[in-house]
Amino acid sequence: MGNILEASGLTRTFDQLIAVDDVSFEIAEGETFGLLGPNGAGKTTSISMIAGLLEPDSGRVTVEGVEISTGSTKGKASIGLVPQELAIYPDLTAVENLVFFGRLYGMNREELARRVDEVLDVIGLTDRRDDLTKEFSGGMKRRLNIGIGLLHRPRMLILDEPTVGVDPQSRNAILESVEQLSSEGMAVLYTTHYMEEAERLCDRVAIIDEGAIQAEGTRRELVALVGETDRISIAAEGDLDAASSAAGSMSGVREAVTGDHTIEVLAADASSILPELLGRVSGAGVNIHGVEVIEPNLEAVFLHLTGKALRD
Amino acid sequence: MRSALQITVKDFKLRIRDRSAIVLGVIAPVALAFILNMVFGSAFDTSGGLDLGYGLVDEDGSEVSQAFAETLEQLEDEGLLTVTVFENREAAERETDDGDLDSYFVLEQGLGQAVLSGSAATIRVIGDVDAPTSTQIAASIAERFVSGVEATRLAILTTLEVGGATPTDEMIAALQQEARSAAIAYRVAETAASTRQLDPTTYFSAGMGVFFLFFTVQFGVSGLLEEERDGTLARLLAAPIRGESVIAGKAILSFLLGVLSMAILAGATTLLIGAEWGNPLGVAVLIAAGVLSGVGIMALVAAVAKTPEGAGNLGSVIAVILGMLGGTFFQIGQGGDLLSQLSLITPHAWFLRGLGDLAGGASWTAVLPAAGAMMLFAVVTGVIGWFMLRRRLAR
Ligand SMILES: Nc1ncnc2c1ncn2[C@@H]1O[C@H](COP(=O)(O)OP(=O)(O)O)[C@@H](O)[C@H]1O
Ligand SMILES: [Mg+2]
Repeated sequence: MGNILEASGLTRTFDQLIAVDDVSFEIAEGETFGLLGPNGAGKTTSISMIAGLLEPDSGRVTVEGVEISTGSTKGKASIGLVPQELAIYPDLTAVENLVFFGRLYGMNREELARRVDEVLDVIGLTDRRDDLTKEFSGGMKRRLNIGIGLLHRPRMLILDEPTVGVDPQSRNAILESVEQLSSEGMAVLYTTHYMEEAERLCDRVAIIDEGAIQAEGTRRELVALVGETDRISIAAEGDLDAASSAAGSMSGVREAVTGDHTIEVLAADASSILPELLGRVSGAGVNIHGVEVIEPNLEAVFLHLTGKALRD
Repeated sequence: MRSALQITVKDFKLRIRDRSAIVLGVIAPVALAFILNMVFGSAFDTSGGLDLGYGLVDEDGSEVSQAFAETLEQLEDEGLLTVTVFENREAAERETDDGDLDSYFVLEQGLGQAVLSGSAATIRVIGDVDAPTSTQIAASIAERFVSGVEATRLAILTTLEVGGATPTDEMIAALQQEARSAAIAYRVAETAASTRQLDPTTYFSAGMGVFFLFFTVQFGVSGLLEEERDGTLARLLAAPIRGESVIAGKAILSFLLGVLSMAILAGATTLLIGAEWGNPLGVAVLIAAGVLSGVGIMALVAAVAKTPEGAGNLGSVIAVILGMLGGTFFQIGQGGDLLSQLSLITPHAWFLRGLGDLAGGASWTAVLPAAGAMMLFAVVTGVIGWFMLRRRLAR
């Protein structure tokens, strides 16, 4: 699978402020890449350079091998942008909004008519298609905002914090459609300051803070990077000490201790050792009531890397 | 170009939906032209649209007061006004209060004496508060008469001093004659001047039109700042279209709204209040050039403003200043005085001047100098605005 997006050395300053500092990453076909960072980290600025809205001071962006720049229309048709700010016209209907932007992408009448129906279906606004969008709820506007970005079937979709200020139901619908698009082979660049969204959606995540990427990789790689481990908590009855020493001698287990009616096990990768671990523990003569696996999250990674919480 | 037009069409739809463009571009200028025409227009109307009704109370009964009465009668014969003679002030005042008269002249006892002896001569003008303009005209007739008398008296006195004789009847007759013709000459000069210019109905219609035009065209170009504020500009620029297309789309919309509102205004004022705009081709050329100058100036305003609100405020200030200076609210002469010189730095004045050149059945080519002047505004401001806006989009 080839790379759809390649961004290298992107840097941009506003007056004295270095908003984005030497940011580089690639996104492959069908891959969802997350840019996770707090407000003001430089996510929108990075995206604006990638989408050709903002000229970088230095660095380079290519999409499907075509260089992106503010002065040129080249390569822009390959990108679908969902801006952080709602970018829809309140005095136009849902369909009129879609058709207007579709035309700008040079879609012809039939193709456009078909895609408008498809997209309205995906974003669940078919029955409100002819209503002015100023009458829409916040969640509906967000969904239309995404729909416009999808309309022309871009090879790469860029979503800038698409779930901010959205009710939980709409939020879930949005996350599901992003998963769906990615499974259809679209490359997705997803920015967020919600750790759970990055964990759920993204194949790889870059943690960005103060304009610079602090670390990048899969969730597991990031967690391993900072030395965090999975924790398995086994609720049990019987000779808990014997069971925990049996678990502790297993390879892949870092530490096993007896707690209050529990055995606490630390391991690098809980899922790969879980079956054998449970076998050994029950073999040591205890009754298991329940098992809980607690994987360290990106919140902890972020805290470790930057010394601060993602959200204040 | 195609994407520019797509943006124009979209914006046109939006502007029609929020109705503000219709209100500012069509309803407001027609309504204001209508009102101004009612308030001021008829007073200047020399085509007999309004009857200036005056009363005259002659308490003096001298040759001089007789001369004034004759002057008024002569003006009445020309159909410019009507005069009713009253025995006393009370009778005249009653009719004025009833609104039957606009105002009345009182020639107080001793007027003739005063004129002949060289002391201050006064003709009292008492007017109806509801007809301030006709009272103004009455006052100016009286003023003219008195100053005409004064000038003649001076001339005669000089002759007398040189010759050392006493005033003869011929001299007094000459004095009266002079006074009469001074007032009439003044009246005639007024009439002649106004036929070279626009009639007031057309003047106020065109003045209001070009005044509001500058607000109307703002809807186009400042839409760019609104899209910037509302975040839709990012989406436009992310599309595979050139930034210039966005600016062009807005400029075309400005032009379209401007032309549309002026065309509707010209049509409506012609039908509703009898404005006479003149040769249609000439008017079209003037409107096109005037609208372009508005688009250029407002593009420049949009380019220097930071927010749409800022552009709105700055644009309004400029529209009002240019409108005032350009004589859209009151007629500015075309002489060499400072105000009329100053008015030439506004497209508004050139627009009205162009229409004036067209008045009286001139061919469309008569507007070319004025149209050229407006195009100069359009090109200078438009080009600077264009480059500044382009730089703003490619951050
Ligand atoms: N146009 C701009 N002018 C000046 N500063 C800006 C501009 N855009 C962004 N910034 C600054 O750059 C930094 C990064 O902003 P942004 O990319 O919007 O962050 P994020 O999207 O991660 O919240 C912030 O400190 C922000 O204030
Ligand atoms: Mg942002």
